[in-house]
Amino acid sequence: MFKSILSKGRKLAGIGSIAAALVAAAPAVAQDKEPIVFGGSIPLSGVFAFAGVHLHAGLTDYTTWINSQGGINGHPVKYVMEDTGYEVDRSVAAFKKITGSNTVPVYYGDSTGFMKTIASELNSRGSTLMSGASFATALTDNEQYPNQFVPGPNYTQMFGIILEYIATQGKDGEKPTVAFVYSDTEFGKDPIENGKAKAAEMGIEVVEEIVTKPGSVDVSAEVLKMRRARPDFVVFHGYVLSPINEFMVQMRQMGLDTQFMGTFWSSDKLIINKMGEDADGYMGVMPYNYYDSAEGGPMLDALRATAEKSDPDAGYRPTGYMQGWFNAMVWTEVIKRTMDAGKELTAENMAESLASIKNWDTGGIIGIPVTAHDMSFPVGRIWRVNAKEGRYEPVSDWIHLD
Amino acid sequence: MRIGDAKQSYEADEAILTSSTQKIWFALFLFALLLFPFVADAYLLYLGCLVGIAVISTTGLNILTGFTGLISLGQAGFMGVGGYTVAWLSANTGLPFPVTLLLAGLLAAAVGILVGLPSLRVKGLYLAIATLAASVFLHFIFAEWESVTGGMGGLSLEPAHLFGLTFQSDFGMYFIIVPLAVLMVLAAKNVFRTRIGRAFIAIRDRDISAEILGINLLHYKLMSFALSSFYAGVAGGLFAYFFRVVTPESFPLSMSIFYLAAVIVGGMGNLLGGILGAAFMTLIPEALKLLTAALTPFYPNAPIFMSPMLEIIFGALIVGFLIFEPHGLAEIWHRIRRFFSLWPFKN
Repeated sequence: MFKSILSKGRKLAGIGSIAAALVAAAPAVAQDKEPIVFGGSIPLSGVFAFAGVHLHAGLTDYTTWINSQGGINGHPVKYVMEDTGYEVDRSVAAFKKITGSNTVPVYYGDSTGFMKTIASELNSRGSTLMSGASFATALTDNEQYPNQFVPGPNYTQMFGIILEYIATQGKDGEKPTVAFVYSDTEFGKDPIENGKAKAAEMGIEVVEEIVTKPGSVDVSAEVLKMRRARPDFVVFHGYVLSPINEFMVQMRQMGLDTQFMGTFWSSDKLIINKMGEDADGYMGVMPYNYYDSAEGGPMLDALRATAEKSDPDAGYRPTGYMQGWFNAMVWTEVIKRTMDAGKELTAENMAESLASIKNWDTGGIIGIPVTAHDMSFPVGRIWRVNAKEGRYEPVSDWIHLD
Repeated sequence: MRIGDAKQSYEADEAILTSSTQKIWFALFLFALLLFPFVADAYLLYLGCLVGIAVISTTGLNILTGFTGLISLGQAGFMGVGGYTVAWLSANTGLPFPVTLLLAGLLAAAVGILVGLPSLRVKGLYLAIATLAASVFLHFIFAEWESVTGGMGGLSLEPAHLFGLTFQSDFGMYFIIVPLAVLMVLAAKNVFRTRIGRAFIAIRDRDISAEILGINLLHYKLMSFALSSFYAGVAGGLFAYFFRVVTPESFPLSMSIFYLAAVIVGGMGNLLGGILGAAFMTLIPEALKLLTAALTPFYPNAPIFMSPMLEIIFGALIVGFLIFEPHGLAEIWHRIRRFFSLWPFKN
């Protein structure tokens, strides 16, 4: 064990040297001007650490990359973060500490709870634009949260994209039926009412609705309900893994030919790694290309090259990494647009710059040009697990909601 | 140097501060509390407010668990009752904060009495489970009673206000939270100089003996639950005003465990212990981050490596205190005081 710690230490030292070398190699022009600070309350420990370390890596690597490109309009970028343990009070403490000692135009929030809690302070400060790990629908309410955005579709929009896809899968002119399975958390319940309304509008019948604890294991009673309802599709939300795997295995054992789908946080490789062959056919909505997808593009290539340089042994980078990188890309774009317009970096000006993003080419991170709409980017694609290949493959075109 | 306390009257015997040295130190402490918001940065001010809220809630739990011997895992639930009461009243009535906080405390006390009913039949771990069940039940109400609590999305609040003044910033909130914390700790101190407080202690030490001595167990156990929940309700109300949003996830079960740990680490049955425990549990995780900050210039990836380690160090510190000083931080403090009270003449 001690050996492994030593080896980890050496590896970290190696990563540190590479990062230092990359920073040193940045063009001199980026060092002359005042740095722009990317702040972050990052969950490197606690229940969300599984994603937090990758979000952090994405933000760190993007900072390295943008500095190697001369920073933002010649300003070097500095990424300042603190671990939060995924606890709201610690996230707020980190925010106060970081914004107290730096001028922070953009900030990464680690949870919906934190982003809601800090909203009143954010609004009264008027100096920081925030996005983060949350895709909560509430955060795209411009009236209440004018200084926050989500770096992709919100959960309601993810359901919209899923339902758009499901609507195309009917047979003999009939619309497929769907069941919603979600956790009894704020996260889980977020898109359900809007999802049901959207399904009704599209003529898709919601034949079952099941609420479980996140991480439930014993779902046999719920599976029996599914056997009676026989939905063509089950959409999971509010989970990372369990009980998705339990539902899939048990429903397939009962001979149901239902197809299973999930949203952002349940559409990574964890499901393939844990379920193996049983994960085959599971589908997820993802606003970004996967790290190992066949797609390309200048920014996606830059991301892969930077990731490879910063940690050559890491291999595949999870969706959290892509999300962290994309977050920082949006911040850069927003800051750049605000500066180019000759405006101050206030939250209001940056929110205006965000709203002005139309047909933005993300260099392959998202496969089509994207347009910001109500503080979100309502775009995504349906991907299906190919268990044999151990990866997700696209089964739909990119869907951009209006 | 203080060499003894000759008490010449009953009043002197019952005084909270028994010597001029204590009075001077207490006055200096109050002055430091008053000065703090003027010299502290936003981060320290925020932590000061958090500690203030934690002190109130921990003192409440100390009354119940430390002084009356009734273990409770419902503190977060009672805080939730206070938080939601303040949020609802603030949104629907526009009452000033002293009234909303008082009502929050009273409603939490009423709920505390209901939850305390099983304490007449069960104690120890069984009571812990009964209060845990109450906490789960309260959480269910917070999540499902949408018309009142806003469901899973919770409620947002306007800032606390009084006589046209609004307390929007941490600076303003500090002047609500900290004076209230001082007052409530002093009130608790006074409770234990009365028959009520002594009855609590008698129940803790041996409830059957207490009953034989004429202490009505039903009355005093429920009173202890009510008092404890009142403190939790006020702390929850302050929490709501401070963060300006309450959701069911604002008051998780882990919060109850946090306060129980604060009481145990600080020293059960000792008000100073509750204060020290609350400060320890709130500030140590933040203080440990300094280790990460010190390492980051040498290891840019130190945050990834150190963050989980800090959780382990924090846990180890708690276990260490329990092993090496079961009477908690308060006993360490008393030892330091004893050392200095005879210094420099002690061998």
